[in-house]
Amino acid sequence: MSEVIVVTSGKGGVGKTTTTANIGAGLAMLGHKVVLVDADTGLRNLDVVLGLENRIVYDLTNVINEECRLRQAIIKDKRFEGLHLLPTAQTKDKSAVTPESMQKLCTELKEMFDYVIIDCPAGIEQGFMSAVAAAGKAIVVTTPEVAAVRDADRVIGLLESKVGIKDPKLIVNRLRTKMVRSGNMMSVDDIVDILAIDLLGVIPEDEKIVISTNRGETVVDNEHSLSGKAFKNIVWRILGEPVPLLDLQDEGGFLSRLRKFIGLSN
Amino acid sequence: MAIPQAYDRKNDLETILVQRTLRSGQSVSYDGNVVILGDVNPGAQVTATGDVIVMGVMRGIVHAGAGGNDSAVVIAFRLRPTQLRIANHISRPPDDDNVDPEQAEIARVRDGVITIEAFPPGGER
Repeated sequence: MSEVIVVTSGKGGVGKTTTTANIGAGLAMLGHKVVLVDADTGLRNLDVVLGLENRIVYDLTNVINEECRLRQAIIKDKRFEGLHLLPTAQTKDKSAVTPESMQKLCTELKEMFDYVIIDCPAGIEQGFMSAVAAAGKAIVVTTPEVAAVRDADRVIGLLESKVGIKDPKLIVNRLRTKMVRSGNMMSVDDIVDILAIDLLGVIPEDEKIVISTNRGETVVDNEHSLSGKAFKNIVWRILGEPVPLLDLQDEGGFLSRLRKFIGLSN
Repeated sequence: MAIPQAYDRKNDLETILVQRTLRSGQSVSYDGNVVILGDVNPGAQVTATGDVIVMGVMRGIVHAGAGGNDSAVVIAFRLRPTQLRIANHISRPPDDDNVDPEQAEIARVRDGVITIEAFPPGGER
């Protein structure tokens, strides 16, 4: 019953790692056993975002080379019961992991966890191919920028043709409602029009994400942040609950909500 | 100044001099002592069978006495490692660690635990 989900994007810096961490934490909060696998060998970040960097002794490449047992490399999260991290090496490069070794690894992980979530590196080369090799499902993250959407389109094409992952899901990250309204940013509808895949969720631009990421924390457990709520809804949708999309209009704070309430703005 | 206690012992190992800063992903591994003239950044790793001396900020992972030498030490102008290992001992800074002493420190194994003290011992410059 367990699932292997890869979080990918093509373009770098759109929020793959942040998304991976928050979805993982969200699933763990709801009582699921989750392992997050960092597939970005040589440029790992997931451990930093989770604040677990100083706990790493063994990593995924050690497991693949049979220098340690799988259980020795898996790190328990310090905040969420049920959340685990399998880090990768920082001092090696992408050639340390092959698609075959990743498949073997994930077969073992599937027996231990409900959800195996793989944080894919940017690009579409060897690192990407290894990261997606074992996945049954894919989440494509993009931002409302032409370049990111272009790269997401390329990745969706590769997932469908080369990897054989049917209907990947879309997350639009860092949306600024105000800019969309003034016509200066692509809207979610524009993006979905181009990519033509199911929308899993929309994350608004949020300072709290910068703050939490720098502190090695997640935002999904923050009741007061809109981005946290958006991640929570994504988690529910992954679990199969039909949660409606968040109304992101209230990013302007109290005044705009008041204006909206008395009918001065739409 | 008296010879610091840490060096009041026999160390016949070869020593390598690294004249640059180690950045994330870079590593130095040596059968002997390692002296670094520069910093060791987070994500970088230094492994030595003997002592490790950093003439700069130690922010990465350091392993002295790799192979089982309990008497190995780590000395750095600023000792802020992600993780510090000596022989078979592993330690990491506590999660709420905010202390930032502005002086050189030495890490060594005492009674089976890694301890960190000012270097030279008791010295304030």
